Amino acid sequence: MISPHRTSLLLAAACLGSAAGAQQPGTAAATVVAVPPLSTPDNKPTSAGNTFSLAWQASKLIAQDLQTTSEVMPLPPSEKDYYSFPEVTAPSFIKWRTNGSKFLVMGFVQARSDKRITFGCYVYDVDKGREVSRKGFVVDPGEWQRAAHKCSGLAYTAVTGAPGIFDTRITYVAESGVGAAKTERIAVMDSDGSNHRYVTSGDTMVLTPRLSPRAARIAYVGYEGGKPQVRLLDIASGAQHPLVPNDAISFAPRFSPDGSKILFSMMLGPNSEIYVASAEGGPARRLTFSPAVDTDASFSPDGSKIVFESDRSGSQQLYVMNSDGSGQQRISFGGAAYATPEWSPDGQWIAFTRRDPGGRRIGIIKPDGTGERLLTNGVADESPAWAASSRELIFQRAGPTGVPALYRVTLDGSDPRNVVIPQGGSDPDWSGVID
Amino acid sequence: MRRILLLSALALLATSASAQLPGLRKRTGPPGTQQGAPLSGIDALRADFATRSGGDTVFFGIGSAVLGAPARATLAAQAMWLRQHPEVVVRVEGYGDAGDTGDHALALGARRAEEVRDYFVLLGVRSAQLSTTSWGKERPGSPRAVTVLVR
Repeated sequence: MISPHRTSLLLAAACLGSAAGAQQPGTAAATVVAVPPLSTPDNKPTSAGNTFSLAWQASKLIAQDLQTTSEVMPLPPSEKDYYSFPEVTAPSFIKWRTNGSKFLVMGFVQARSDKRITFGCYVYDVDKGREVSRKGFVVDPGEWQRAAHKCSGLAYTAVTGAPGIFDTRITYVAESGVGAAKTERIAVMDSDGSNHRYVTSGDTMVLTPRLSPRAARIAYVGYEGGKPQVRLLDIASGAQHPLVPNDAISFAPRFSPDGSKILFSMMLGPNSEIYVASAEGGPARRLTFSPAVDTDASFSPDGSKIVFESDRSGSQQLYVMNSDGSGQQRISFGGAAYATPEWSPDGQWIAFTRRDPGGRRIGIIKPDGTGERLLTNGVADESPAWAASSRELIFQRAGPTGVPALYRVTLDGSDPRNVVIPQGGSDPDWSGVID
Repeated sequence: MRRILLLSALALLATSASAQLPGLRKRTGPPGTQQGAPLSGIDALRADFATRSGGDTVFFGIGSAVLGAPARATLAAQAMWLRQHPEVVVRVEGYGDAGDTGDHALALGARRAEEVRDYFVLLGVRSAQLSTTSWGKERPGSPRAVTVLVR
C-alpha cells in the first residue's frame, strides 16, 4: 500500500521532525504521528453504525485531518495495528519508536445505554513514553465526526502547541456565472469541506461574510436596499437584519475576538470611516476622522488595539490604533500598497494583501511593523483570513478565467493549496475553535 | 443579457400592476414622453434621459474620484434633464478599480458616486431625487459612475 517512494519521504520527514523539535514558522518540517485504528471495548450497534465501524472511520478521519496540516505527517490506520481496549491506556511504545513516530493517537468508541457514544482520545509522546493529553466526549452517534475532529485537535496541539483547527467553520461568497449574470450566495462549511451549505438565497449581491468567534452568526454586506450595508445573519434560524438602522453605505464588518462588538466602515458622505457597534445593536461609535478611505479594521486578540488600512498617505497602508481610536501609527513602509489587514488569533502577526505593479500577494508583518514576509506569489491574491491556529491563512485567488478560488497557505513557506468547493469562491473567513 | 431581460420584465410588471391593482397610484410620466411613443413609463424616461444628456456614464482615472472636464460636461447635461424632471428619482452607481482590493474598491466606487451626487446638487438638482450606491469591483468595466433612473 505504501510505495517505496512514499516510505523514503516519510523517513526523511521523520528525520526533519526530530531535528526541528518545537517548530517555528518558517521551517518546513513535519512530525510523524501514528494513528492506529481506535479500539472498541464491545462491538455494539448505534444509530450511526456499530462501534467497531465508527472507530475505524473516526481513525481515518483523524489521519485525514492531520494530513491537511504542514506540521504533522500522520501514519494512517492499518488493520495490522489493532489494539485491545486495555491497551488504550498502556500502549507499547517500542513498536512505534521503530517506525519513526514521535506521537501516538489512541482511543476508543463505546456505546452507552442512553443511545449515545463515549469517544475517548489519548495522545502519547512516543520517545518519552508518556501521555501528553487526553479528552473524552459523550456525543450522539451521528456527531462522531466532531468528536474525531476534537481528537485531531488534541494531537495537533500536542505537536505544535497551537489550537487545532479541525472543529472550525469556513464561510465565503459562492460565485456562479460571470458579469451581470453572476449569482452570489454565502456558503458555510466545516474546515475539512464537509457539511457545505448555502445560507443566503442569491437574490441580492453579498460580500465579505465574517463568522462570529463560535460560528453562530455571520456579519456580511448585503444589497437588500440597493446599496451595500452591513447585516447580521443567524446561521441556525436564517434570520437577518441590518446592523445599523440608517440609509448609509456600510461595509467591511469584523467581529471582536469575544464576539460582543463589530468593527465596520461607514460612509456618511464621500468618506469611509471606521466605526464600532455592539453586535446586539445600538448606536455606532466613530473611531477615525481622516479625509481618506479608512477601512478593513480588525481587533487584536485582547481587544485593546485595532489594525486598519487607510490611503491617507496617498496609497493604502496599514495603521495600528488603540481601540478608542487614539494613537494611530502607520506600520507598513515596504514601498508598495498594503491592504486588508487581519490580526492573528495569537497576536503575533498581521496578515495583509500587498499591491504593487507585479500584482496582489499575501503576506504577514508583526504589529510593530517589523518582520514583513510574503507568503504567496500569485498575481491576484487577496483577503487573507487566519485559522484559529495562527499558523495558516485562507485567501482568495483569481484564476486565469477570472473565476476566484480559495487557497490555504501556512506560515512555513510551503506552497498554497487549493480548497475544493463546488463553484467559484471569494472573501473567505475562518472561525475560531467551536465550544 | 439577463439584466436587460430582468428590467423589461420589471417594466411589464409595473405597468400591468398599476393598471390592475386597486390602491396603487398610477404612474404619471412627463407630458410628451407617453403620447404616441412606443415606450412607456420608466423605459421612455430612460431613453429620453440617455438621448438628451449624451450618456448616463462618466469615467474616472485609476484610483481617483476627481471629476474631469468631460465628466462635468456630461453631468451638467444630466443635471439639466433632472431639473426638468423633478419627479424622477435616480441612483448614482459608482464602480471601483479592477486591480484594487475589495473593500477599498467599494469605498472608492461609493466616493465616485458621491462626487457625482454632490455635483448634481451644486447644479441645482433636488437632493431628494438622488441616491448613491457602489458595486466596488464586483462588476467588470472601467472606473466609472452611472446615473440610473429608478422611478
